[in-house]
Order: sequence, then structure tokens, then C-alpha cells
Amino acid sequence: MSTVEIRNVRKSYGGHEVLHGVSIHIPDGEFVALVGPSGCGKSTLLRMIAGLEDISQGEIAIGERVVNDVVPRDRDIAMVFQNYALYPHMNVRQNMGFALKQRRVSRSEIEARVQNAARILGLESLLDRKPRALSGGQRQRVAMGRAIVRDPNVFLFDEPLSNLDAKLRGEMRSELKELHQRLQTTTVYVTHDQIEAMTLADRVVVMNGGNVEQEGPPLELYDRPQSLFVAAFIGSPPMNFLEGFVASGALVLDNGEQLKLPIALPAGERIVAGVRPEHFVIAAEGWPAIVSVVEPTGSETQITTRIAGHIVRVLIRGRTDVKPGETIHLSIASSHLHVFDPGSGKRREIGG
Amino acid sequence: MSAIAQNVTRRRKSRLGARLRISAGVIACFLFLFPLLWMVLTSFKEQRDIFTMPPTLFFTPTLESYVTYLQRPDIWRRLVNTVIVAVGSGVLSIVAGAMAGYALARIRLRGAGTIGLLIVLSRGVPPIALAVPMFLVARKLGLTDKHITLILAYCTFLIPYVMWLMRGFFLSLPKELEESAMIDGCSRFGAFFKIIVPISLPGLLSTMIFSMILAWEELLFALVLTNRNASTIPVAIQGIAGDTINGANWAALTAVGTITVLPVIVFAMLVQKWLVQGLADGATKG
Repeated sequence: MSTVEIRNVRKSYGGHEVLHGVSIHIPDGEFVALVGPSGCGKSTLLRMIAGLEDISQGEIAIGERVVNDVVPRDRDIAMVFQNYALYPHMNVRQNMGFALKQRRVSRSEIEARVQNAARILGLESLLDRKPRALSGGQRQRVAMGRAIVRDPNVFLFDEPLSNLDAKLRGEMRSELKELHQRLQTTTVYVTHDQIEAMTLADRVVVMNGGNVEQEGPPLELYDRPQSLFVAAFIGSPPMNFLEGFVASGALVLDNGEQLKLPIALPAGERIVAGVRPEHFVIAAEGWPAIVSVVEPTGSETQITTRIAGHIVRVLIRGRTDVKPGETIHLSIASSHLHVFDPGSGKRREIGG
Repeated sequence: MSAIAQNVTRRRKSRLGARLRISAGVIACFLFLFPLLWMVLTSFKEQRDIFTMPPTLFFTPTLESYVTYLQRPDIWRRLVNTVIVAVGSGVLSIVAGAMAGYALARIRLRGAGTIGLLIVLSRGVPPIALAVPMFLVARKLGLTDKHITLILAYCTFLIPYVMWLMRGFFLSLPKELEESAMIDGCSRFGAFFKIIVPISLPGLLSTMIFSMILAWEELLFALVLTNRNASTIPVAIQGIAGDTINGANWAALTAVGTITVLPVIVFAMLVQKWLVQGLADGATKG
């Protein structure tokens, strides 16, 4: 096990910079998720940790050792790829033992470690199969097994679950989390799925356009997003945003509609107010919203409403007898209102 | 009701299409196989039966040409030469061509695509334009009439061919396979030999067999670069056809031709078997 230290790392392809100086400190044993939309540089960063891409500028250290010039095989890492990259001409046992064989581990030791990993992942009965005779979930498991037998310093995952169907993805997610709790190996996990990042990771790094937008524990990102980007990216369904200026304790939208704010803000300023769908409460008074769609799922109900033409989503626990066309009133607790600067997109800290 | 009727017409239409396709296939096969059949038939005829009009399809077959020519040691030696040269150039071109193709497919290098294209375009040069300079170089190096000369000469056109075919093959493999191998403890070379080569075996073998067939039937370079020791069977056939003293002995020509074609047909069948394989399936999500 090992720490991973990323210091001001940049990456350019022929003059075009895709990573603009990223620094992340990953303590020993931590599970870190790199999350962001496609093209944000998260996979590139992971591949740089693996040694599959050169580091244009900056430093990456695994443990005490700076690995900029160390070839992948000497970095003591294991990586699980999105397409699994199982060796098609080898059976499951050979696939899992390949790395150990390369390191000249004794045959009996390889067998013991493969058996152990197979037991953890429930692959014992599949050891003699070729990859093509396995289902997607089984291949995924073999790919993880290949990483586990190595007992490496760092696990790297590159969108490992995105080729699985939704149900299997959920199952594998829990298994991955359990596995990490058991092995306690430092893990860097790349995904574009914020739910995966939130549920799996000890710490989430949100990336955008080659920069780190925000990093922190999942719930901190949820509770205190530092920018509009993070606020919109984390949480599902996404946060609602309403833009306007502040006048006499209310948010005045562009059409003149006034929405009472639960907190005092300096008058005259232009802000973006953000509220998560699950933080609205239907009350006797509050922001008037016209219901357009009601979607019950049993445990909760999603209501799509319009406030002055803007779509505002509301998520309430349990059931409701609200009907489309009705006007409801939405109230929010002051702690649940997020305020952002419309120009910079940065969070504005508000009193309390 | 109308849906059923529509279905029937569609089926009838597709049956018509299938018939057309099959007939086209039969015609194409006939066009390609007829000369071959004619060659084999002629090789069993006596000289006087060959040019009768209308052609005799029923005749007393004779093995005379085969017996005569298979007893000639120079024919045997040329067959052996052909095997040496075909295998030699096939193996050499697959080793060099596959590695070059892999480099072109995977190594990020400025202008790699252009280099690859230039190598392939070099095939546009007419072989006859290269044959004479090659002969001069070979003579200067004292390499005329040697197997190695012919093998190297064939590699000039086989390596680009192999390189281009294998490049396409390697491009179809996910690069994560090698990346995974490199993380697992292989060097770039190790990943190539331990992972890529075994997966590509069907492609490599079929390409090698194609190369061997090309070398097997090559005439021009063999004619220019070899004389007695290293000359190949196409040169012998050319000698029989171009016999200005006795006139072409057609029975002999076709008999030796049949002997020459036989291994190629066997090879082609082997290739077919290899080509059907898609071993790389299952490497990715498939």
C-alpha cells in the first residue's frame, strides 16, 4: 500500500494542453474517485499514474518514489480497464496468474493466490474458461481478480462498471466497496457517473476542463458545492437554479416575479440561487410553482413544476395527491439555499 | 391478410435474390476454375489430342508427361528451390512485416502514417524497373543465383504487403490488451510476443501463407536473378513454354503447371480455415 502524490501535473498533446496543473494528495489506503464529464482529463490523469501516458510537466509519486520515468511494470500498480482487456487466448486462471508469472513467482504460490482471489470473487468454478465464454459481469470480476492477485500498491480503475447493465452495475458497486473495505488498498477510480463516485469513494475529485473543480468527501461536495459546475454535477436529480437580483429580501426573476429568500442578502446584487429537488417542502406558503408532471415511484415522488417559466424539479418522500395544473407553494430552509455568483460561477458564502 | 401476402412476396423476392446470387457465384467459379480444369485435362492428354477441334473431353488419359518430367532431376531441384525460397521469404517477411505493422499501428510517431503509405506506394514501381538494378547489385555482391538473393528480392514486395495487412489487423485489437500486459510486468516487446502474437496467430499464419504463394509463383525476379542453382519452378515452366527449338510441349507445360499449383491449392485451403477464426472476440465486451 502506498500514498499517491500528484504535484502540479500538466499534460499536452502537441501544444494543446488538456490538464492544466492538477495537484491531488491521496493518503495511504484511501479510495479516491475522479469524476467529471467526458474530456475533463480524468482518464488521462489515471493513465499518467499508470505510466501509460507521459507526464508533460509536474510530478507523480507513488509512496516516496517519483515515478515520472518509471515504466508501468515497475510501478507496482494494477489497473482494471473499461473493456476489461482480458487476454483472450488465456483461461481465467492464466489471466489472473499472468502478472505473477511475469514476476517469476513460484507456481504453487501463483496457484494459491489465484485460488484465494477466485474465492473472494466467486470465480472458482470458472477458472478453466476462456474470457469469451464468460458473461459481462463475470469478465468484470476476472478483471478485478487479475488486479487483486497482484496485491499492488495502488489499484487503478478506469470506468470499470460502465459496460454493465444497471442492475449488475449496482451489485458490482457494492462488491467493489466491500472489497476495498477488506483489502484497504489505495484506489484511484475514474468514472463519469457521480452516483458511483459518491457511493464508493472516501474522497471525490470533481474535474472539469483539465482542472480540479473541487475535492472533498462525497457529502461535503453535496452539502457545499464550491461552484455551479459541481452543484449541477453532484446530486440526482440535479440541483435547480434560478437567476435574478436581490431586492427587499426576495429574488427578483427577469420577468419581475419575486421569490422570498429565507436569508438576508445585500440588495441589488445579481445571484444564482440553487436548491436541490429534495430540499423543497410543499407548504402553505412559499415560492408559487405550477405543477406540470407528477412521477411517483412508490418510495418518493418527483414533481416537475414551473416557476415563471423556469423548470423546477421537486422530490418529495412518499406520495402526494398533487395534480398537474395545480399551483403549489415551495418553501426552503435557509441552510438548503445555495448562492452562486453568476459571473464566476463560484459559491457565495452566506451568513450562518 | 395483406400482411401475410406481403410476407409471401417478400419471401419470394428474397428467394429470387438468393437464386441470382447463387447463379452469379456459379458463373464466377466457372470463370476461375475453367482454366485450371483445362490445364489438368490437357496434362493428361497426348500432344495430338490437345489441339483437336472440337476439343475432346473423353480421351484415354496418359501419365506420360508426368512420368517424363518427374524423372528429370532439374525439375525436382527447382521444386526444392521453390520451397526454400517460398518458405524463406514467407517467414522473413512475416517476422519483419508484422513487427513493422505493429509499430505503424501503435507507436505514436509523427509521420508514421505517411511512412506507412510511402512504403505501400513503393509497390507502385513496376517490378521490371527494379529487376535490372537488383541484378546489378546482386552481381556486385556476388549473390547471383543464390536462394538468399531471391528471398531478399521477394521481401521487397512481401514486407510492405504483410506490414499493411497486419497493421489493419493490429489496429482492430484493443490497445488496452498491451497496456494491461505492460502493467502486468511486460515490456513493449514482451506484450507483443506474449499477448499480441498469440492472439494474432490466425491472421499471421494466413498472411504468411499468402506471402508464400506470392513467392511460389513469382517469375520475373527469379528469371533475372537466378540461373541454374537457385532457379524456381515458374522459370522451368517458362523454359518449357518458350522452347523455340521443339515448340511448346503443352502436355508437359500443363503437367508441370499442375504439379506447381497443387501445393498452392492445399495452402489456400489452410488459409481459409485460419481466416474463419475470430480469436480476439471476447477480449473486450464483444
